[in-house]
Amino acid sequence: MIELFHIWKQYQKPFWALSDVSLQIKDGDFYFVTGPSGSGKTTLLKIIFREILPTEGQIVIDGVNVLKIPDSRIFALRRHLGIVFQDFRLMFHRSVFDNVAVPLQVLGVPRKEIRRRVFTTLQQVNMHHKIWELPSHLSYGEQQRVAIARAIVNNPDIILADEPTGNLDPELAFEIITIFKEINRRGATVVIGSHDRELIRHFGDNILFLQKGRIVAKEGREDKEGRP
Amino acid sequence: MIEKLKFFVRVAGLNLWHFRTRNIFSVTIICLSFLTVGIFLSLSNNLRHTARELQNNMTIAFFLDKGLPAGEVEKLEAEIRSPDFIESVRFVTPEEALERFRAGFPELEDIVSSLTDNPFPASIEARVRSKASRSGDIIGFVASLRSRPGITDVQFNQDWVEKMQAFSRMAGAIGFFLGGILILASFFIISNVIKLNVFARHNEIEILRLVGSTNLFIRIPFLIEGTVLGLLGSALSLGLLFVVLEAFPLYLGSSLGALQELLSFRYPSWPQIAGLLAAGAGIGFAGSLTSVSKFLKI
Repeated sequence: MIELFHIWKQYQKPFWALSDVSLQIKDGDFYFVTGPSGSGKTTLLKIIFREILPTEGQIVIDGVNVLKIPDSRIFALRRHLGIVFQDFRLMFHRSVFDNVAVPLQVLGVPRKEIRRRVFTTLQQVNMHHKIWELPSHLSYGEQQRVAIARAIVNNPDIILADEPTGNLDPELAFEIITIFKEINRRGATVVIGSHDRELIRHFGDNILFLQKGRIVAKEGREDKEGRP
Repeated sequence: MIEKLKFFVRVAGLNLWHFRTRNIFSVTIICLSFLTVGIFLSLSNNLRHTARELQNNMTIAFFLDKGLPAGEVEKLEAEIRSPDFIESVRFVTPEEALERFRAGFPELEDIVSSLTDNPFPASIEARVRSKASRSGDIIGFVASLRSRPGITDVQFNQDWVEKMQAFSRMAGAIGFFLGGILILASFFIISNVIKLNVFARHNEIEILRLVGSTNLFIRIPFLIEGTVLGLLGSALSLGLLFVVLEAFPLYLGSSLGALQELLSFRYPSWPQIAGLLAAGAGIGFAGSLTSVSKFLKI
């Protein structure tokens, strides 16, 4: 479970990127964080995987206070997370295979097993035919799919995805969210930052609406199911 | 363990190849820095060697009267050999002296061959032990023999040798100081080149951190790369140093005469070569270690 308690984040005075955000994401939830550009979606996701620290507040993941984990042990938290970055963050000098294999290499998975899992994962995102290509030779959408493959290759408990369909055509975006949905069905918690209304409308079980760093609305599965 | 090591070496190898242009630049800078140190080392080696040679060659030449009977010469030889600080004594005939002059000054051959008479006197050359430190005793001994009948003149280069020794000590001290500065400057240049190399790849470090890599996992390939670059640079500098040491005397010719001996180079010794290689690897390793650490903070 991901719990956020009164999170405040300020990059530069006097603006607050996040203001008093409290949130509870249960295990197995499929969660959309949405809002206009600059509403704090990316900041919120970055705080959850501790790329940045909040100015105030606490984050607890599976009972562990994330802010109290020493820097030298933060890798242990991140091994349970799969992250899709808005800017993909691929290693452009390494092949698609190498990029996707990194989370498994980090875990010390044997080479044969790495090959098998990387190939299977790339098949899921329909990128297996470009396994030895360099990311610089791929289109924007293809790079995005490689980034998604890297995030899901080690079957993480939690997947955080920042605008994972931002550069994809509607059909492919739909496919990608279906993949996330499938992973969610297998038990992983998925949190997606997106402003794609169509996708949210179609897939959004739980939705958090942010505006200027504040939660302006929350909508849960129960609310939707209760709706006429 | 071996599997992991293989993985790290493979990753380091891939990175070295992929960033080859940048790496060639780094190796060139490392090589040039070490070449400067190497040239300085060779010059300093030569100075030390020359000073040691001079110290070993401290001789006293006693020039004898023409026609001094052989018995007198033997007596003088025995007397000269007697002090502890004399290592060996040798009688030099006028003919041998003339031959030595011919060999030492070939450009004066015309004058020598026009001589009707051999102007060089016979002499007794005494070699002083290299460890002899009581210069007062030597000077007293020379003075006592200078007025002996049968000896016309005494040539003693102790004063010059002592000056050379002082010069060598001074050169050593300056060398230590300048060499120290040079090595320190090289260290900063090389470690900064390695740092620039790592800085250029901070995105990669960032990605590895965010997918849950330990600091050690991130560091190892960079450390291997830094060590290899440092080692390659220093090895290449030794190769270039060899070329310089071979080519420089050819470029210089023989125009500097006696000064040439002082300005010539001497190959670094095996321990010095090993030291340079180890320093290259060490600087590469340390440069990578410090620069990667900068990016490993949360």
